[in-house]
Amino acid sequence: MLELHQVHKTYTTPQGALKVLDDVSLRLAPGQSLALMGESGSGKSTLLHLAAGLDLPDQGSINLSGQNVATLAEPARAKLRREQLGLVFQQFHLVPSLRVIDNLRLQARLASRDDTEWTAYLIARLGLEGLEKRYPEQLSGGQQQRLAIGRALAPRPSLLLADEPTGNLDETTAGEVLELLLSLVHETQCALLVVTHSPKVAAPLDRCLRLRHGKLINTAI
Amino acid sequence: MIKSLPTVVATLLAHYRRHPGQLAMLLLGLWVASALWSGIQAINATARDSYARADAMFDTQLDQLERRDGAPITRAEYHALRQAGLPVSPMLEGEIVTQDGTRLTLIGIDPLTLANDNPLAQADTSRSLTDFLTPPWQTRAAPDVLTTTTTLANGKSLPPLALAPALPPDTLVMDIAAAAQLLESGEEITRLVAARGTLNEAPTGLTLTRATRIATPGQLTESFHLNLTALGLLAWVVGLFIVQAALGLALEQRLGMLRTLRVLGVSGRSLVLALSLELLLLGLIGAAAGIASGVWLARLLLPDVAATLGSLYDAGVGRELNLPWHYWVGGLAVSLGGLLLAGGGVLWRAARLNMLELGQMQAWRSGYRRQLMLMSTGGALAVGVAVALYVWLRFQPPGDGLVAGFALVAALLLASALWLPPLLALALKVLTHLARRRPLVHWALADMQLQLPKISLAMMALLIALATNLGVGSMVGGFRLTFLEWLDQRLVAPLYLNAPAEQYADIDAWLADRPDVSERLLTRRSEALLESIITPDVSRALGTPIELYGITPGESLIPHWPLLANQQDREAAWAAFDHGAAFVNEQLATAENLSPGDQLNLRAPGVYETLTIAATYPDYGNPSGQILMASPQLAARFDAPPSSMGVVLHPNADVDALREALNERFGLGSDALSDQREIKRVATDIFERTFTITRALNVLTLVVAALALLASLLAQARSRRQQLAPLWAIGVPRAQLAQLSLVQLGGAALVTGLLALPLGIAITWGLVAIINVAAFGWRLPLYLFPWEMAVTLATAIAVALLSAALPALRFWRASPRTLLAEEANQ
Ligand SMILES: Nc1ncnc2c1ncn2[C@@H]1O[C@H](COP(=O)(O)OP(=O)(O)OP(=O)(O)O)[C@@H](O)[C@H]1O
Ligand SMILES: [Mg+2]
Repeated sequence: MLELHQVHKTYTTPQGALKVLDDVSLRLAPGQSLALMGESGSGKSTLLHLAAGLDLPDQGSINLSGQNVATLAEPARAKLRREQLGLVFQQFHLVPSLRVIDNLRLQARLASRDDTEWTAYLIARLGLEGLEKRYPEQLSGGQQQRLAIGRALAPRPSLLLADEPTGNLDETTAGEVLELLLSLVHETQCALLVVTHSPKVAAPLDRCLRLRHGKLINTAI
Repeated sequence: MIKSLPTVVATLLAHYRRHPGQLAMLLLGLWVASALWSGIQAINATARDSYARADAMFDTQLDQLERRDGAPITRAEYHALRQAGLPVSPMLEGEIVTQDGTRLTLIGIDPLTLANDNPLAQADTSRSLTDFLTPPWQTRAAPDVLTTTTTLANGKSLPPLALAPALPPDTLVMDIAAAAQLLESGEEITRLVAARGTLNEAPTGLTLTRATRIATPGQLTESFHLNLTALGLLAWVVGLFIVQAALGLALEQRLGMLRTLRVLGVSGRSLVLALSLELLLLGLIGAAAGIASGVWLARLLLPDVAATLGSLYDAGVGRELNLPWHYWVGGLAVSLGGLLLAGGGVLWRAARLNMLELGQMQAWRSGYRRQLMLMSTGGALAVGVAVALYVWLRFQPPGDGLVAGFALVAALLLASALWLPPLLALALKVLTHLARRRPLVHWALADMQLQLPKISLAMMALLIALATNLGVGSMVGGFRLTFLEWLDQRLVAPLYLNAPAEQYADIDAWLADRPDVSERLLTRRSEALLESIITPDVSRALGTPIELYGITPGESLIPHWPLLANQQDREAAWAAFDHGAAFVNEQLATAENLSPGDQLNLRAPGVYETLTIAATYPDYGNPSGQILMASPQLAARFDAPPSSMGVVLHPNADVDALREALNERFGLGSDALSDQREIKRVATDIFERTFTITRALNVLTLVVAALALLASLLAQARSRRQQLAPLWAIGVPRAQLAQLSLVQLGGAALVTGLLALPLGIAITWGLVAIINVAAFGWRLPLYLFPWEMAVTLATAIAVALLSAALPALRFWRASPRTLLAEEANQ
């Protein structure tokens, strides 16, 4: 499903080169779930962005459904993202100009995979009934993140990438959202990579990896 | 409160360090608004100053005597009149050219016989009369002339200069003896003058023009300046649109900061005070820069304006700026007033800031809906005003209501500008609904609704600029067509001859015998007093001086000469004309509300005549009324001298041979015979120059609107990227997003351009049917130019694409990392 092979990433900062990922390799099989942990600034988001083809590695290959993301042109990477990936961010990143229902269906429609039944099911499961006509800013934080999860799952991606999906929510809401995320991922048989600080989030997942000084370390939770 | 003020102001200003683009846009708006406005006012002020001085000259309480046949008066004639006890004084007028090519009017006077209280005689100098009267004499001139050299092109030099600020620009005054030497006029005198009312009637062979009847350029040019002022006001408004957009944005982005300041204990009142201080500071900088460049602009445009006013109205305008103190104060006041107008809303919103208001986006969405409602209502009110003005104008006699005409056009512009955003919002709403099945199009439309509030001011400015461009362009284009056609109709003879008045009889007889000449069209000119008018309903006393013009109606003239209105048909009108009826020009008909069938009572020295109006005719470019008669009739009834002669030749006739023969037989100079094409060229030249400034200002306004759009797009480029980043993250390629933003803006501009078309036509109509009639007395046919409309649409789209290109390019070329950073920063 997802395979990172000897990936290197260095940022140039005013203070000089900053090596963030140093020879990182990683495999994620279809349907598998993985938690990525590490201290703040250790490079978790960087790894996730590379996996999504949002940024390119300096060295190494990133295979996603049999294609090397690192060598694909931008339009091809975009196509891969909208058809294969679901992305959930800490900051939700909803489209302010679209109503809830249109936000939810946006990626599915872009990927020509709009499925009314599935959308209706997602709405019901995410507890967004009756809110379809609202705009994103008219929702609570938890509702907004549930909508973001719905948008990512609507095109039935084969891999869901989430960057601290509950980091912006209070503890109770975070628990609810996480539970919902995991059960939906389970239902859709999609692989999952979650970046998180919280052991509670990592606990129910198949595996957990820790980033430290640019290297990946296998850990038990 | 006062103690914390510097900190608050500094905190507010810190915003612009992070967003220099907004500061630039704000200053740009202020600069443009005050530059164009103060530039035009500088031109107006200079011209008015020139008129005032010219007025003082003309208004010298002098009656003028000139020879009926236009030839100069001799010294001997003057002495004879003096000996007969008439209180006349000689005056010599001519043109001299200095070594550096400046043309100056030279007036020679005799201060001893001129009435003592006369401004010409006094002219504010401190030196004694002896200096003026005796060699080496003295040249009196206004300060703006003094910079030029005192050596003339012909090698002679002027007498010593003396300052006389009251004199008009480009005019020199000296003793008549000195002037005669410089002008080499020998025994000739241009005219005789006498203190007002001292002469009862003109001595034989001379015409008397009373002082009050000499038209002053001030009134004639008023409409021209009103026109300029209206254009300046337009530019000012467009500039303020930019200011308002920039201020709105700066407030929007500083809401968080303002709230924090309030929470930290800054009172609402000191916040408003600090914002006002910020406005004042920026306003002073913008206004100073604007006024400086306005003066520069005026200096650039003034020669054209001076040429226009000189050719159109015979009004002398200095080519050097001459600005009174109130100009500077006024310029500053107008700039700051505009800023206050544009910034008032911002201050008001800041004063009512809610500290706990969190759902920013939500409050703002419904706020904009309320704004759209207000705009629609405001637009409806403006339409109401326009309709009321239109109805009012219908009940006015034609030719009245210049200001009302401008107000009508302004109301139409305002209404359209106010209706543009609600219209765009509605169109977007409908389209968004229709595009449900195309996700990207759907998003683009929905996103445009969100962008609309931020670009709507710029779009309004664009609409106004486009519409006035089209309106004025069509008016000028239509005027041009009409004018050229009219010239063709008026100038039927291929050759025109100018000769001393007494020679015409001989020339006429001589030409009659030549086989190559088919027709001779003699014109005559005279003046009379239009005493009263008799219409079927009323008879009105008038007492205005009027020009009489005689033409020779014949085979080549009658079919071409344009007529506007006649009693029965053209033939009947011309038949009546032949038998002594008169035609009046459109200006006179409009001003006095005359129509065919009315009668005119005219008085000239020793003559009292009643004429019936048979028709009216167009007379473009002539600022005053005119009565047209058949040449023989004019000669018989008003003793009018010949003024020129059109010569129609048989086909294949040799023009050069005729020219030579004329020259040989009558000793006429080479410029006595002018080619019709040459006359047309000169007339067309004058015409083009007249509209140079109008065009220049129009283009400037359009440029300003484009800048407004660019500025508002650049100012929100950052937040735009933040809105586009998530789309990019879920798989829409950057190139596509960049293209979409071009299409979005291009579409909005297309709608704006489409709206500008009918608005432009309405403006053209207002100009030709109301404003021109009121300003000049003639009505032009309404011409529409499909090409101009296509250009307007293309301009709208080009302006939008050009302004959208830079932000789109930046987005397209942004490295993924920057986009991610935008995401993280959100
Ligand atoms: N565009 C960039 N330019 C330079 N340095 C960057 C850039 N983006 C990230 N970094 C640096 O790279 C390092 C890793 O950043 P990254 O965002 O991957 O950390 P993270 O593990 O997600 O941290 P957090 O848990 O706080 O989200 C950080 O030290 C950060 O400062
Ligand atoms: Mg991170």
